[in-house]
Amino acid sequence: MKKRGKGIACIFYGTGYGNGFPDVSRAYARLLKDGKVEISVGATEVGQGAKTVMVQIAAETLGLSDKDIVLINEDTSKTPDAGTAAASRQTYNTGNAVKIACENLREKILDEAVKLLGVNTKVGLHIKDGLIHVKSYPSRNVSLKEIAENNKELKAEGIFTAQTTQMDENGQGAPYWPYTFASCAVEVEVDTETGEVKILRAKHVLDVGRAVNPTLVEGQIDGGFAMGVGYALMEDIGLKEGRMTNGSFEKSIIPTSLDIPEIEKVLIEYP
Amino acid sequence: MNLKKIDVNINGKDYCLEVEENLRLIDLLRDKLHLTGTKEGCGEGECGACTVIMDGEIVNSCLVLAFQADKCRIITIEGIEDEIIKNSFIEEGAVQCGFCTPGMVLAAKSLLDKNLNPNEEEIREAISGNLCRCTGYNKIVSAIKKAASIKRGGDSE
Repeated sequence: MKKRGKGIACIFYGTGYGNGFPDVSRAYARLLKDGKVEISVGATEVGQGAKTVMVQIAAETLGLSDKDIVLINEDTSKTPDAGTAAASRQTYNTGNAVKIACENLREKILDEAVKLLGVNTKVGLHIKDGLIHVKSYPSRNVSLKEIAENNKELKAEGIFTAQTTQMDENGQGAPYWPYTFASCAVEVEVDTETGEVKILRAKHVLDVGRAVNPTLVEGQIDGGFAMGVGYALMEDIGLKEGRMTNGSFEKSIIPTSLDIPEIEKVLIEYP
Repeated sequence: MNLKKIDVNINGKDYCLEVEENLRLIDLLRDKLHLTGTKEGCGEGECGACTVIMDGEIVNSCLVLAFQADKCRIITIEGIEDEIIKNSFIEEGAVQCGFCTPGMVLAAKSLLDKNLNPNEEEIREAISGNLCRCTGYNKIVSAIKKAASIKRGGDSE
């Protein structure tokens, strides 16, 4: 006989190392001679999209297109430490370091623009499409390339230190900052003869803060869901006297494309 | 070890090679011909990372001996000139760490070469021999749907 059931689970999940552990990301930003901006950051791309979001964050902060950002990453001779690609921390923590580096560089660029434009303050100066202009007077402008040519080297650093507080002796407190809130609902069909479980449909709702790249966020939801299906229904380490007895894909079964349903995904971006 | 002489066409190029009897096809591709786009995952035919197309059918190149490819046409990821499949994978976000991607693209190509109008079940079946630990498969399925739609002459949806 086949029976159906529904389940819902709600979680909150801390970003970063948490619990008082030092959590620091660094990034450099540098204006290149051709007017592009180089971002150096140790954030490792493991498929989560670090390379994409760091470029997006830099471009938006500087008012440039993503084609005007040159990303140097995963090169320990050129990049400052951005911590590990773990704990869901790169987009938030290192992304903030990139944002701060770009804001610092932006101030230096505007200081130079003030001189070249012959205006008396950087208040009201605006960067758009590689040009800096007085907001209400776009025809009076100077390009980032001209600024680069007129200066030895403009560069800035960004350091972001995440708020992490150690819990008290009773395990109470607020060890992480920030948190992601999520809920997941599934409907399954169970074959009561064989025990086989089929997932008929699933819905995921995540409060992610601001989704820098919604496609990548959805990809993380899909991947996380598939891993969860594996843990719940299939996977078992199979230890015997400390050794794994099923150390191959023949015996250690993980989900395939046939085991995963389409997932309805909702991103809540607040604030 | 005895050597065997084989004639094989790989990505449109003819090769006349002498290979050890116990050389696997994946080792011929990666180590001898430096076509390193083909990945070795499990080495026992379970994960599909080493998928290549051999005379139109997908095979796990870790389970095929190189001499068995005699007189065959092999397509590896380096030989895929299908921009529609490639772009669909990129646009749909079907690539995360990328290790399964060559095998997934070849499985997709093999499917679409035979069936330009696959339903959801047929797409999932076609890639069911390719394990992926990052994407949860859904965006790969969407990418193949999109590629099929474009190939049929429809728009991208």
